[in-house]
Amino acid sequence: MDLFIQGTLNLFGDWQAISIFVFGLLGGMIFGATPGVNMLTLGAVILPFTVTMLPEHAIMLFSVIYCAGVFGGAITAILFNIPGAPENAPTCFDGYPMTLRGESGKAIGAAVSCSAIGGIASAILMMSATGAIAGWAVRAFGPQEIFALIFFGLAVSASIGAENLWKGWLSVLAGLLIATIGTDPVGGIPRFNEGGLFGLTFKSYYLSAGIHFIPIILGFFAVSEVFSQATNIAMGTRVRPKAGLDFPSVVDFWRVRWTMLRSVAIGFFAGILPGIGATLAAFLGYSQAQRWSRNRPNFGKGEIEGVVASETANNAATGAAMIPLLALGLPGGALTAMMMGIFQIHGMEPGPLIFINSGDLVWITFAAMFWANVCIVFLGWLQTKTVVHLLRIPFRWLAPGILMLAIVGAYALRNLFIDVWVMFLAGIAGYLLRRTGYSAAGVVLGLILGKLGESAFTKSMQLMDYDFLGFFGRPVSGVLILMGMAAIAFSIISEFRKRDRDADAGA
Amino acid sequence: MIDLRTVDGRSLGGQLIELAIWLGLAGLMYSQTGLFDREIPEYLFGATSWPRAICIVIALGAIGQFAHQMLLATGSGTDGGGDRRVRGRTIDFAKRIAIFVFPLIWLFLAPRFGFYLTAPFFVLGMLLLMEVRSPFNLFAVTAVVYALVLLIFTRFFFVALPVGRIQAFYDVNVAIIGIARLGI
Repeated sequence: MDLFIQGTLNLFGDWQAISIFVFGLLGGMIFGATPGVNMLTLGAVILPFTVTMLPEHAIMLFSVIYCAGVFGGAITAILFNIPGAPENAPTCFDGYPMTLRGESGKAIGAAVSCSAIGGIASAILMMSATGAIAGWAVRAFGPQEIFALIFFGLAVSASIGAENLWKGWLSVLAGLLIATIGTDPVGGIPRFNEGGLFGLTFKSYYLSAGIHFIPIILGFFAVSEVFSQATNIAMGTRVRPKAGLDFPSVVDFWRVRWTMLRSVAIGFFAGILPGIGATLAAFLGYSQAQRWSRNRPNFGKGEIEGVVASETANNAATGAAMIPLLALGLPGGALTAMMMGIFQIHGMEPGPLIFINSGDLVWITFAAMFWANVCIVFLGWLQTKTVVHLLRIPFRWLAPGILMLAIVGAYALRNLFIDVWVMFLAGIAGYLLRRTGYSAAGVVLGLILGKLGESAFTKSMQLMDYDFLGFFGRPVSGVLILMGMAAIAFSIISEFRKRDRDADAGA
Repeated sequence: MIDLRTVDGRSLGGQLIELAIWLGLAGLMYSQTGLFDREIPEYLFGATSWPRAICIVIALGAIGQFAHQMLLATGSGTDGGGDRRVRGRTIDFAKRIAIFVFPLIWLFLAPRFGFYLTAPFFVLGMLLLMEVRSPFNLFAVTAVVYALVLLIFTRFFFVALPVGRIQAFYDVNVAIIGIARLGI
């Protein structure tokens, strides 16, 4: 507690630290809430400027951007069906239908409050047990467990957002297949960078580096949504969303208290594991909320519990993601990888000794993340009352701006125009997939977890001497694989039951 | 009995095309794995096992999905709610196609003529495709979006967007950048 107070005093006792804190908070929220750009764009742009900052200020800045950016992405997910980051994708499923019903204020209010609750809970857990948790996670989680967790996560999340189980799995598999483009994780052999069909051949150096997930995400969510709305406008079938300013009541929050608690646990656990991060946390939180909810049939149609589950889980992962970074030097995602870059720029090495050698840095970061989440409640409330007015601007005026931002965002990633082509092609594919009942979110989930899953699988096979039953020789991986298989079996049975029910209703 | 006209609200032909696309994709990608089928000394399964396994599961999933739709049609014994396709006019169809084709044409032209020169035309074209017809709105929205892009990405963040490969247009793009950064 003393260390936390000291960190808070260091944060608010220095005008420079306060300015950086406020900049990170507002920057993260604005970039997170602007379709086409996200917190990674902001992080990449300001990374060079951190050279001139004190290391504790630079790390604190990025941790605040991380908290605020994950929250900000929920705004566009709810208002325009365009998630600011992949971890906000499940928020669309219920947030956007709520907007169409005129409950945008309620949805954003729930996202604000639950983001803050998830983030604060995660910050407290992070402060109380970073060393112990990091040690346990590393001992208990080898490649077998990472692969088993990804398998379990995909098994329970695959059908989210799709018309049926088959289409959900096909969406995820398409993402997994896209993720294989590039080099293989063991031998570094380029895959799919050259091809040949009917005597025609091609070779692409771009494909040797793999397809980056940012243009795909921008394409599947931002561009395909613009295409979808544009065709509706052209056909005269667009339903105009309504602005609503109501904040959720205390009763609304009390009703979803167990969902929040469950999502905090899921988010924190997923966030600790390097590479898994907030995306799987949000999908797992959403799927578990759907499984245990009394209002299960309302999910996907504007159920506030869906917004609560995904936003609590993805923010609960933010604090947890700092644990492997600070304690072990293992970044869990793109923004934490940038923080690794800051450590390197300043000649520091994160690891267990950082708590002894750079206590000030650690505790100002912890304090900043805690207070950033507290500020999100107030700023988020203000944003609820103001940002929903964006809905009053006709979408046909906003759409070209959204596309322009997406074009610049995709191009600026690697200064390659081909990334913009990938984005637009993904946009067309996303449009067609949505129209036919497939899940764009499923493709993105498969794409993000595909490389990590394959890498964990190859390492597991090498460690287990190519014995598939070896997964059951370790308790955690065995249980996760069995739970994943049970989830698939349960989904298939549910699908058949649904079919029978539909048949009975039709008879 | 399966209604040959519609299954789950879409035509049987549509379902068959969907199946063919998935099988075609899986088959095509599987066939391409042969081009990098090399041994890796430290990994028995090589570079191809993972993508090939995914291709096989995609093919099985596509067949499962098709069978599921068939069972759905058999189980319900109805026409699945009738043919829900909207038969629009040719002009509507052309508009929908234009929404997808226009950005691709712009993507082809932008690296050649430069982003800064072509961006306002892209915004204007998208606005027209989205049925904005008022000259004032067309001009105002284009000007605001273009000004914001120049201000944020060119003046403040120094993002190096394409300036064109054709000399005359290259010069114009560089001049626009110069104007956007006046006073810096």
